[in-house]
Amino acid sequence: MKSNLIRPAGALVLALALASCGGGDDDKFTVQGSVEGLQYGGLVLQNNGGKDLAVNPPATGTSVSFAFPDKIEYGDVYNVTIKTPPAHQTCGASNLAPASLSDTAGRLAAIDVRIVCDLNAKPVGGTITGLTKDNTGLVLANGSNTGTYTPTLEAITADKPFLYSLPVQVQYGVTYSVTVITQPVGRFCTVANAAGTMGDAEITNVNVTCVPR
Amino acid sequence: MKSSYLRAGAALACALTLSACGGSDGNMLLGGAFSGVTKTGLVLTNNGGSELTINPTGTGSGEFYFPGLVDTDDSYNVQIKPGSIPSNAEKCEAFYNTGRVVYDVTSIRIVCTLKKHALKGTITGLTGANLVLVNGSDRVAVAAGATSFTLTDVSEDAPYGVNVLTQPDNQTCTVANGSGTMGANDVTNVAVTCGPRT
Repeated sequence: MKSNLIRPAGALVLALALASCGGGDDDKFTVQGSVEGLQYGGLVLQNNGGKDLAVNPPATGTSVSFAFPDKIEYGDVYNVTIKTPPAHQTCGASNLAPASLSDTAGRLAAIDVRIVCDLNAKPVGGTITGLTKDNTGLVLANGSNTGTYTPTLEAITADKPFLYSLPVQVQYGVTYSVTVITQPVGRFCTVANAAGTMGDAEITNVNVTCVPR
Repeated sequence: MKSSYLRAGAALACALTLSACGGSDGNMLLGGAFSGVTKTGLVLTNNGGSELTINPTGTGSGEFYFPGLVDTDDSYNVQIKPGSIPSNAEKCEAFYNTGRVVYDVTSIRIVCTLKKHALKGTITGLTGANLVLVNGSDRVAVAAGATSFTLTDVSEDAPYGVNVLTQPDNQTCTVANGSGTMGANDVTNVAVTCGPRT
């Protein structure tokens, strides 16, 4: 009689244990992670080429988290890709977790995709006109923190207008201000369209015109 | 008798091998990155010797590696040679600069803080609103009626170039003495003159 009571009780315990292990969502994984540095809208992520997931910049702070609605099973491979980058930015895997965009669910306790977005940067430059091989020494700069530019002897020896761009590219939304730091030998140079705010395209109209002194 | 000769010989061979391994005969890099070095002069030392002269860059940032390679388990102690701080720097400091070599050492950081000086000037004739002046990425909005402006301080020996980003309402402003190289003193002679829109 005693053993008859124990047996069903044991079966019940076993059944409960199984239910808590299997079934439900307990063995499913959410493909989730965070985007650092996102400042503009338009970012669309996909997992394994599936449904679009739009990610918007955070209201405060520098990081925003995301999660794909469709969960995946233990052992499934996920591969998060950037279908559309945000406006004015380029995104990719974080240097701190370069392999986190693609892995197998369950290898780690939770999925943590790390994406970092940086502002696009483009060159600032234009055309320099009026220099010959004798007019060495021109130095241009964009403000104080991006070094200086001096045309090569090769460029001025050609005796014709040539294209230049400053050594450090400028990020979207940042201002630039090009001036002549040192005038070349025998010429006086002026800068047209010298100041502006970087947009999405390379700046090619900061033209420098040099005339005999 | 014979075996003691062998033993001595083996010990000698062993000693020679060990000495060949130490010193600068290793195969690991010793170096890192620097910032704030825009002028010549800075010299680094490792363990009090093997001097390395840092070549300045336009942006002040770059990488450095000692020409002599180091070996696993060598200890290193990279310091700034006393008296070698460039004249335009307030101070230079070394970080992550001591330890024992496990693999290529690329983590040493040399940070020089450059002396900074003011960049400012006068404004005449400004009646319109919305004037914006810029020095590269630095900008300052100037109110109607203002007679002076101040931009962010500039490092000694760095270039500067002030331009009008946005002209004021119904006026055109021009900048005189707007560009140059920051010396040891504040720049205060940038002159912005505004008149009717041209």
